[in-house]
Amino acid sequence: MKNDLRARREAKGWTQARLADALDVSRQTVNALETGRYDPSLPLAFRIAALFDTSIEHIFTPDQQPVQSA
Amino acid sequence: MTSSLDTRSAGDRRRTRAYLVEFAIGMVAYVALLGLALAFAPAAAPGPARWLLALAPAIAIGWVAVAVVRHLRRIDERQRLQTLEGLSIGFVVAMLSAVALGLLEPFGLSVIGGPWWIYGAGMLAWLATSLVQRVR
Repeated sequence: MKNDLRARREAKGWTQARLADALDVSRQTVNALETGRYDPSLPLAFRIAALFDTSIEHIFTPDQQPVQSA
Repeated sequence: MTSSLDTRSAGDRRRTRAYLVEFAIGMVAYVALLGLALAFAPAAAPGPARWLLALAPAIAIGWVAVAVVRHLRRIDERQRLQTLEGLSIGFVVAMLSAVALGLLEPFGLSVIGGPWWIYGAGMLAWLATSLVQRVR
C-alpha cells in the first residue's frame, strides 16, 4: 500500500517524532509507515486520516487496483 | 529536519523508561532472592521451606514476565507485532530444544544444566529475531 504521509507531515512542518506523539505510536512506526514497510491497522489509519482532516483513501492507495468483476 | 534521523518521540521515551524501570525491579529482586536462596537453601532442612527458598528467585522472574506483558500493552501495534513474532520464534526454538534434550535422556546422553540450555536457546532465538527485524 502506498501513502503520502511524508508529504503531508512535511507540509505541516512536523517531525516524525511529533507525528508519532500525535498518533501515540513510536517514531520508528511513523518511519515504517512513510517508507511503506508497514501497513497500518484500520483504527490507526482512521486516526491518521482524522489528524490530517481527510479520508483514509486520500492518504492510502493500494499498490494494485482491485480487479473489477464483469 | 523532518527525516528518519529524528530522535525518539516523547511517547517512545516514556514507554521505554517504564519498561526499563519495571524490568530493573525484576532483575534486582532476582539477584536479591537468588542470594537469599544460595545463602539459606543449602542449610535448610529438607522440606517445604527448602523448596520455597530454592524457588524464591522464580517470583522475580514472574514479575519480569509481567513487565514484558505490560510493555506489550504499552507499545504500538507494529512494535507489538514484531515483539510477538520474536516471542513466538523463541517459544518454538525453546520447545524444540526441550524435545531434543528429552530425546537424548533415554540414551544416557543427558546434558548438564539442560533447562538452562532450553532457556538460552529460546532467548537467543528471540534476540536473533529482533536483530533481523531491525535490519529488515
